[in-house]
Amino acid sequence: MSDLLMELSQNSTAKSVIKTLGLPVPMPPLLERDKNPSEIRCLANRDIALHSVGESVAFRSIVETLGAAGAKLFCDSTVAESAVVTEVSEAYGQKPGSLTLDPEQQKHRFHGAVLDLTSITELSDIESLYSFFRGVVRSFRSSGRAVIVSRPPDEAKSAIQRAVISAIDGFIRSLSKELGRNGTTANWIQLEEGAEELIAGPLRFLLSARSAYVTAQPLRVSSQQGARQFTFRQPLEGKVALVTGAARGIGAATVKRLAQEGAKVICVDRPQDDQITSRLAREVDGEVCLVDVTSEDAALVLEKHILDRHGGLDILVQNAGITRDKTLGRMKPEIWQQVIDVNLAAVVAITERLVENAMKDNGRVICLSSIAGISGNPGQTNYAASKAAVIGLVRAWSGEHIDRKITFNAIAPGFIETRLTDAMPVPVREVGRRLNNLKQGGQPEDVAAAITFFAKPESMGMNGQVLRVCGGSLVGA
Amino acid sequence: MGQSRKAVIVAGNRTPFVKAFGEYLKLDTIALGCAAVRGLLKNTALATKEVDAIVWGGVILPGLAPNVGREIALDLKLPVEAEAMTVTRACASGLQAVTSAVAAVERGDADVVIAGGSDSTSNAEIKLPQKLVHAMAPVAFGKAGPGDALSIMGQLFPLRDVMPSMPKIAERSTGQVMGEAAEEMARRNEISREAQDLFAFRSHQRAANAIASGRFDDEVTKVETSSGNTVSNDDLVRPHTTVEKLAKLRPVYAKDGSLTAGNSSPLTDGAAAVLIMSEEKAKALGYTPLASIRSWSYVGVDPADQLLIGPAMAMPKALDRAGLELKDMDLVDIHEAFAAQVLSVTKALGSQAFAKNRLGKEKAVGEIPEDRLNVHGGSIALGHPFAATGARMVTTMARELAASDKQFALLGICAAGGLGAAAILEKA
Repeated sequence: MSDLLMELSQNSTAKSVIKTLGLPVPMPPLLERDKNPSEIRCLANRDIALHSVGESVAFRSIVETLGAAGAKLFCDSTVAESAVVTEVSEAYGQKPGSLTLDPEQQKHRFHGAVLDLTSITELSDIESLYSFFRGVVRSFRSSGRAVIVSRPPDEAKSAIQRAVISAIDGFIRSLSKELGRNGTTANWIQLEEGAEELIAGPLRFLLSARSAYVTAQPLRVSSQQGARQFTFRQPLEGKVALVTGAARGIGAATVKRLAQEGAKVICVDRPQDDQITSRLAREVDGEVCLVDVTSEDAALVLEKHILDRHGGLDILVQNAGITRDKTLGRMKPEIWQQVIDVNLAAVVAITERLVENAMKDNGRVICLSSIAGISGNPGQTNYAASKAAVIGLVRAWSGEHIDRKITFNAIAPGFIETRLTDAMPVPVREVGRRLNNLKQGGQPEDVAAAITFFAKPESMGMNGQVLRVCGGSLVGA
Repeated sequence: MGQSRKAVIVAGNRTPFVKAFGEYLKLDTIALGCAAVRGLLKNTALATKEVDAIVWGGVILPGLAPNVGREIALDLKLPVEAEAMTVTRACASGLQAVTSAVAAVERGDADVVIAGGSDSTSNAEIKLPQKLVHAMAPVAFGKAGPGDALSIMGQLFPLRDVMPSMPKIAERSTGQVMGEAAEEMARRNEISREAQDLFAFRSHQRAANAIASGRFDDEVTKVETSSGNTVSNDDLVRPHTTVEKLAKLRPVYAKDGSLTAGNSSPLTDGAAAVLIMSEEKAKALGYTPLASIRSWSYVGVDPADQLLIGPAMAMPKALDRAGLELKDMDLVDIHEAFAAQVLSVTKALGSQAFAKNRLGKEKAVGEIPEDRLNVHGGSIALGHPFAATGARMVTTMARELAASDKQFALLGICAAGGLGAAAILEKA
């Protein structure tokens, strides 16, 4: 799955030739990725510009999260002298650096910038979006991170407040497009009232190199799952995970990530993929369960495997999926049906049975949707229908198991460099690859990292969400 | 389960601490260890047949005889039944030896244990690059043919890969030299050059006073070197240094840094040993115990963060385990790797923010009054033969408790790898 432009952009001679000739060729940035298991100090030695507007109740949690993660803060004197920043910087022996918002004076280069807007109410508060980000926008290192934290728009107490919060939507999407060329992402955390301390998980994720291909996305954090209860090192130790479609691509990458974080992973794929599934399971000290997910007894076989060996399941990743592309007029009924069976019917049957009979409290269900399910694609009526249906499922299920603290989330990958996209005709593939803010396709690891984020206890504030891992795709945005 | 046996510290002894590549040049860590143990046995008039075991600490271990403790026992002609092991926990190795001995006695493994540590930086082995070792293996371990000779030649290029490299005190995981780590701590915790120099000055003053007053006379024994010289004094203490003189020294680890040779501990050769017994055995043999160890703790912190902040976590933990508070401590002895590191640790202990965010405590652990901290100086003035330091601190503090009406002494040691160690001594 080679990407010629990606290679050219990393070759200095080619790069200078293209630049000298003024060729209209996009130069995709090399994205920073983190392949290591998660660490407590995941932001160690990262310089983060921080600003907060008004009297924010989330500010303490934000600063504590950044301090514990080892970040070095840069803020103006008002923020630097606040009680919280003083306390946290003393505790971690990391005094904040000074921050100027005059773009002309800005000499420092930042790994990330966080703007806390949880207390904005007035139209005049919009100005802080402009002044803060204008001050740092040219100072991001490559693969930088911009994060805005606010209340969700629908929690606004007035039309004006809702307008101000909604402004972030357009702002962050545009910022993401502007910053994409050096690999910098821009995302939005919508923090419900009472969920302040649960910001740690999503904030760390969005500021780290684990969210390389996530940009222009909102993540909503709620407190419906109760008080904070998680650790950051080997967070999946002692947990049992099951991944369908584990043999290759996103599934295999997910298996490795989950195992790396401490989980025992049951790798599920079709019997004809025995060899590669077994090899993967051996590599991660996991288990194999070979079953066609569309077979009638698939759910029963999986349930039995789990209960016989482990007594329960903590993480279910519904990844198995197929494409059978044809325009609707040419689509034979069996092709329509195959896609619906694998991508939707199997997901329904297996999830419902396992959640009912095998899943432990605090469980995590992550279903793979697709950007096609959001925006549609010619030739993919079947696929898009099934993937849109998955979003419906996740949203419905998320409300049904709150008492058991099981969360249901969906991941919608954009153009990811896998067997599926490699099979595309070259012109279509080339266009698909470039039509996003980062000018490149994502890697299976990028999706795996997002799935793993939802599998970790630290994602407890997120339920019923659809996170797009699409590089800010122009399609369906 | 109630504790049926109690271990006590009966005596302690050390060699004079001497600048590396000085008087002790020809004495390796085993010879230094022998000198300290020999003095201990002599001072206590202990019959060697009573010794059940030696637990010895070492950081720079001799590659061909890494179990230094056993070599000491054999060289001193202790009964062959006196078994021995060697422990290594970087600069906390000496304290590790003592607490391991205490644990062994309290568990009933032994009645009389000699615990201590020694290090000779002067005799650090220069490591051959692994590439050279692998290339030479056919010659060293088998029959080399002419073909092998050619292959060896071929493997030796480029030459810089096979040149022996000088040992340095750098973290394996981060590559950071320890002084750079302490320099970073000084910057992050805002420990000024002046504060560091003042602390170093006090260390020298107090050590010099202790020596002049004869306070160390009963815990330091003379060492005969192979050239026939007798070393009777610590030779790194500078009684005449002043804050002004210290202020003139140039920073070592960073151009605009604050750590100098004056406010850091020097490379040192030396050894220290402590005699541990079960309470009943001490009584039976007619010894008066000096102190016992009430609690201890070892912790790890991220070496990529503040490498030497460990004692700020370990000391509160040892206090918690003993059910005591910092204010109950009559004496506090913190190993002085660098003045900046001690001051970073004491600052953290005094910080409520640190207690709340890092220790999960409501209140700060507490301030340490200047007149209780390192009352007889520390590693900056006396020197720091890595594994000897812990045993030196235990000796000095145990004797201080025994000689005064003070009851508790808290020890804190930082160590490479992001380790922290602490122990609480209680007057016997």
